[in-house]
Amino acid sequence: MTFKFALGTALCVVLVVVLVPVLLEDYQQRLRDYSSNVTANEEDLRKVKVYMNIAPTVFRPPTILSVFSEGYETRLANAAKIEFESIPEVSLTSSETNPYLSIFPVLDVTLIFKIVLGILALLIAYDVVSGEAQRGTLRLTLSNAIARPHVLLGKLLSGLLTLLLPITITFVVGLLILGLSPAVSLALADWTRIGLMYVTSVIFISAMFSLGLLVSTMARKSATCLILALLCWIVYAVVIPSASVSFATNARILEPREKVAGQLAALEQTRESEKKKWHADFGYTLGALGHNRDAFGREYVMWLTKSTAEHTQKRYAFYRSLSMAYADRLLEVERSHLFNVLKQKSLADALARISPLSLYENVMSSLSGTDLIATRSFMERARAYRNEVIEYIRSKTDDFRLPSYFTTMTMDEMAECQQAREEISRLIKLKDAADKSAGEKLSSAIERRNKLLRDAGDKPSVVDLEGFPTFTYEPPGVVKSLKYVAPDLVLLLLSNSLFLTLSFVTFLRYDVR
Amino acid sequence: MIGHIIRKEILENLLSWRFVLSLLLVICLFAASGFLFVSTYRRQSHDYWSETNKNLAGLSEQSKQLYKLAFYKQTVWRKPKPLTFCAGGFERSLPDWFHFDLFVQSFPDVRSRSNFLLPRIVDMDWVFIVSLILSFVALLLAYDSVCGEKEDGTLCMMLASSTPRYAVLLGKYVGAMITIGIPLLTGISVGIIIVVTSNVIVLTAHDWLCVSSIVLFSFLYVSVFVFLGIFVSTRVSHSATSMVVLLFVWVGLVILIPSLGRLTSRVFSGRPGQLTLAKKLLDVDDNIIADLRAGRFNREAEAHPQANSPIKKHLRDTLWFNTWSDAKNRTIQEHHRQMISQALAGRRFACISPVIPFQRASEIIAGTGIERVMNLRDQIKRYQAGLKDYILSKDKEDPNSLHLLVANVWRIEKWNAISKEAVRFDSVPKFQERNLALGQSLKLAIWDIGLLILFNLVFFTAAFVSFLRYDVR
Repeated sequence: MTFKFALGTALCVVLVVVLVPVLLEDYQQRLRDYSSNVTANEEDLRKVKVYMNIAPTVFRPPTILSVFSEGYETRLANAAKIEFESIPEVSLTSSETNPYLSIFPVLDVTLIFKIVLGILALLIAYDVVSGEAQRGTLRLTLSNAIARPHVLLGKLLSGLLTLLLPITITFVVGLLILGLSPAVSLALADWTRIGLMYVTSVIFISAMFSLGLLVSTMARKSATCLILALLCWIVYAVVIPSASVSFATNARILEPREKVAGQLAALEQTRESEKKKWHADFGYTLGALGHNRDAFGREYVMWLTKSTAEHTQKRYAFYRSLSMAYADRLLEVERSHLFNVLKQKSLADALARISPLSLYENVMSSLSGTDLIATRSFMERARAYRNEVIEYIRSKTDDFRLPSYFTTMTMDEMAECQQAREEISRLIKLKDAADKSAGEKLSSAIERRNKLLRDAGDKPSVVDLEGFPTFTYEPPGVVKSLKYVAPDLVLLLLSNSLFLTLSFVTFLRYDVR
Repeated sequence: MIGHIIRKEILENLLSWRFVLSLLLVICLFAASGFLFVSTYRRQSHDYWSETNKNLAGLSEQSKQLYKLAFYKQTVWRKPKPLTFCAGGFERSLPDWFHFDLFVQSFPDVRSRSNFLLPRIVDMDWVFIVSLILSFVALLLAYDSVCGEKEDGTLCMMLASSTPRYAVLLGKYVGAMITIGIPLLTGISVGIIIVVTSNVIVLTAHDWLCVSSIVLFSFLYVSVFVFLGIFVSTRVSHSATSMVVLLFVWVGLVILIPSLGRLTSRVFSGRPGQLTLAKKLLDVDDNIIADLRAGRFNREAEAHPQANSPIKKHLRDTLWFNTWSDAKNRTIQEHHRQMISQALAGRRFACISPVIPFQRASEIIAGTGIERVMNLRDQIKRYQAGLKDYILSKDKEDPNSLHLLVANVWRIEKWNAISKEAVRFDSVPKFQERNLALGQSLKLAIWDIGLLILFNLVFFTAAFVSFLRYDVR
């Protein structure tokens, strides 16, 4: 019950009490955003009038565990557009809601554990040996018939038991705040994850404690030990993470994003020029059809005449197959860039693994389901959903051949429309030939045509949403996350045992006089 | 007497382990930051020039027909600043790609070689090293300045002689500052030597002035922590306790509060997102189309003072295209303003930690960071206005044109609304980013400098008062 222990624990608890409600509020805001996005998307879906304009966006629900570790949750896009023109993939453009917020570092519960409890462990451990040596009590202890390893083991166990207290208190307080909030319901899987996070935190804190023990056996004066321990800490907590990032960005140089954007734009341009080429071969359907906007910012064919129907159908069929072919090619370009980005990231990660703090952060982020794996599994699911949607449209429109793919008009209405137009042009010719009765007939014919067009504009949707696939996303399970974090967890355990072994060795050779 | 105390303090510090270790660490970090800067800067300026030349080539291509200048989507890249090695200002993750034509300035984007998957850790610049490492070193040097001597029993002896207490305190402070000045200045010299000898940049006299003011800020900032160290060390009687307290205070000030900025700005000022912007832009389109259908532009065209000139039949289209692009532009600017003010609100909150004023003052002096992005956008806005004036004045010389600036390239082409003559590329205004003069940037940074001085004063007074009442027994 020393001062430092009380202060450290109190600080941890206070921080958790202050931060968790704020983090929770942030989570709830994200949840509200998510549900408002989903409803807006559904509203738009109901407004869609023809099948080709079904281009919904799917969203990834925020996870409550992001309170523990924010990871990529707010940094990478949590939405994917489902359309013919593109295939969802982890986006590498600025997808944070506000790019200017990147002037601040991230804050979550992991940070508190990593920094405050890590320092506390070091502070408790640094004078375990050297302090006793300074006071002379170490000599007394060792003069009894106790083996040196036993002394150290006893100190390790007692230290860890002491440290279990603040970890447990912080976890319990944090969970209480979460549990008392009515908006949060934790499933069994979440509890498993939280349990695993607790275990990881204990392993991490014990690694920091062993590091302190090692430092404590390295010098005779406890003040020296303190300085050494703190310098170790600042190297682990500040220097290594930023140095590894700086090194990785300079060692594996990425292509400028602009170049990739240029490649993508060039591909899109060739796509458009292929459309032009098609029109050069098959002509345009000028004048005989009108567009209107329905939903998702897209346009459908509001009216057309029967003579142009076949051409228009061919045109949209061509557009679709072209878009889908180019979607694959666009994805290829994106992926090759993503591959390099991932390589740079894994280099930075590998370097940062020297520090137990980085290891701990990785494990916590994976366990909270906010890591890259979760984002990628969401995108994978979105890709599968895109295929489902395309399959649905195909089945509803007889392999994209029915007019309902691109227009609300039926064949009969198209025929009527054509008739009206032909009538008008016939009457105009008659009028030009100075036929008096034609003028009157013309105005009534124009009136009739205008009514047809108005009716066409007011026509309800032809989309039958019955059987429309619903998007469900299951985040990767605990087992999968565990498989992914296993190397980091093992490394954390290894660093633990490395520090311990070293401290045993140095303690065996410690001069107690 | 003060001289003696200072000398004693310095000698004591210089001979200690903590000094040697931190000196090594700091020098290594400054050297690493220098090397990293050199390689990054070389690549960045290569990228910058190649992209800028591409943009100019495009502009010169368009100058063959005057009206096309108005519709050319220009790209301005953020120029890498030579003083990034002092204060990077998180530019790696701030927008660096500005896209605009005469009518609309798009939302800026982060391009270049940024990697969003990397942990968001600041660049290894001087501000980073000073704000995190040197503040820590300052605490390591100052934590036992008073209570350590009490534990050793030397404090009693020192005060038993006729030395006034304030002299002891000042001596300790000056001693600690000089000691910490050694790693700071050595590190900075090492960094500067690496940067200057690499020949990637040439520092002008103005740059040297900026560098020295940033060094000055560093001293101001570090001195806050020395005072803090002395203060805490006069409040407790054991040096170990003093270290514990200082450590937790340091964690709070340097690590937690700056991170809190993001959270507060996110929670308390809403969350405008990219999706919101896309939605707002769609709304703008819908509104304009609705207005068009309701005949708003027909009415406005009739009420227009020029309703009887030869441009009469084009007035309606001109009005609606221009209103449309104006509305789009306004929406984007408004959204951008919201985002900036969200970030700035967070930073204002985080000012309760001395890190933020130090960071911001250095950024402003070095001409980097979020203020620069805002400034750059304002300059682009002014450039757009200048280009517009240029196009209109050149257009007046052409008798064949209608002198009607419409925000639609097809209309202008069809109507011959703006001259299609070629202009000399030399006479076309080109975008050039202007840097603030040192006086101007100092004026902007005055609040932050004031805050740093205030922090110093507060901790000095606290240390002074509590040392005067210190029980030396």
